[in-house]
Amino acid sequence: MSFWFAVFRQVGRNLRQTWPSQFMTLLTVSLSVLIFAFFFLIYNNMLRVGDKLGDDLQLVVYLEEEPGPEMQEQLRKKILAFDDVEEIRFISKAEALRTFSDQLGDDRDVLDDMPQDFLPASIEVVPLKNLRNLSQLKLFSEYLAKLPAAEKVQYGQDWIERFYYFTRLISIIVLLSGGLLILTSVFMVSYTIRLTILGRQAELELLKLVGATNYYIRTPFLIEGLLQGFIGSILGLISLYSLFQWIKLKFSGPGIMSMFEFSFFQVTTISTIIALSIVLCAVGSYTSMQKFLRI
Amino acid sequence: MTATSTNGIMIEMIKVSKTYPPETKALSDVSLSVATGEMFFLIGMSGAGKTTLLKLLCNMESPTNGLIEIGGVNIHRTRGRKLARLRQKVGVAYQDFKLLTDRTVAENIAISMEVSYKKPQHIKKRVRDLLDQLSLAGKHDTITAELSRGEQQRVALARAVANSPTLILVDEPTGNLDSTTTERVMELLTKCNKSGATVVIATHDHSIYTNTHHRIMELQHGRLNLVRKGAS
Repeated sequence: MSFWFAVFRQVGRNLRQTWPSQFMTLLTVSLSVLIFAFFFLIYNNMLRVGDKLGDDLQLVVYLEEEPGPEMQEQLRKKILAFDDVEEIRFISKAEALRTFSDQLGDDRDVLDDMPQDFLPASIEVVPLKNLRNLSQLKLFSEYLAKLPAAEKVQYGQDWIERFYYFTRLISIIVLLSGGLLILTSVFMVSYTIRLTILGRQAELELLKLVGATNYYIRTPFLIEGLLQGFIGSILGLISLYSLFQWIKLKFSGPGIMSMFEFSFFQVTTISTIIALSIVLCAVGSYTSMQKFLRI
Repeated sequence: MTATSTNGIMIEMIKVSKTYPPETKALSDVSLSVATGEMFFLIGMSGAGKTTLLKLLCNMESPTNGLIEIGGVNIHRTRGRKLARLRQKVGVAYQDFKLLTDRTVAENIAISMEVSYKKPQHIKKRVRDLLDQLSLAGKHDTITAELSRGEQQRVALARAVANSPTLILVDEPTGNLDSTTTERVMELLTKCNKSGATVVIATHDHSIYTNTHHRIMELQHGRLNLVRKGAS
């Protein structure tokens, strides 16, 4: 009989004998993974939405006067002195009116009686992709506001701030639920293993006396922890995937949700969550063994 | 390391004392040598220290003073895997049996062979043989909690000898048995001894040692005295 055969038989025996507490632990690990992965999935999708919206992000600097070619060059230099940017577009008053008129479509005749230069000239600045942080954007906007002839800078501050704070809230929830996952998994697995050890004290004592090695006695407990982590995380992720599919189905069709394409975790993220859960449960099992298994 | 002696001595105890707190002296300066392949009787009244001596020999307890070697190895300085291997070579039938009462008779006997990774077929065969020898053939799948004390005692003995150890320590092996079963138990122990195992039997049942030619020593108030030399 090999070591592993003996160990797996012992694992089977333990699971049979202590299945109610094992089941409760499995349920707790699954729920912890589900809670954590749920918020992590929202966070991931929020980041993706943020990226998508960020592609259209631009700062508009409204100018008091329409700049001439020399002034345009100066302004361009000043803007680039702050940081590299993706693009700088100068919009003349006439161009602004043309765009506005196009946007009005069939109602463009309301502009007929308006003066041709009532809209201000502006500079549209598309920042680099790495300049997506709210504080950096604020700094950049403050800098642009101080440009000569700059009257006002607009970049959808309110909306961006709201989105930024919401993303931050989600990231806090992800961190908290991650902490919860760590604590509950380690605690529950450690508690179950402790109960098993206490319930099998006589057997463990006997095993020691008849010459079982420490590995022979300890490995089954460690494998139980690994199994809890593996099966628990798989169940949690399957539940989340079902929930995800249901939500997608429920909210598909026209509406704001259809503007964004929500996606489930990549294989690497799934593997990382499973691996993390296995490691945590193994740690729980190991700490319990260190504390209560006197061999 | 095995419990096989290289110089013909299986057990060597030199000036061994054991004191339980606060000041209960169980053994005082006990010195003893048991040769490899010897069958040795340790007799004495209840509380004389027989069980303590056996517990020291199987490393269940440590001596307060003195040296104990099994097969030339100081067992109280041995740890981990080496100690586990040594214990696999020492079969012990405890006075309180130490049976797993929620397991079957077969599972209890098999446990000593499982830890040394014996093949399942070998374990099955050995269990059946031992149960036959100890008149327990019909109890193979019985939960040990349902057995009488005499039956439990025999299961404990079967577990002690199952792994063909080189040293067998038996504590009161016939305490709960009738004369016929006592005879069968002694037959089994004699058989193990003849096949090379060193056997130490702690008992106060004079019927099992009076008609033998083996060495007998008596423990009185923690001290060891020779009662009869064994036939060489």
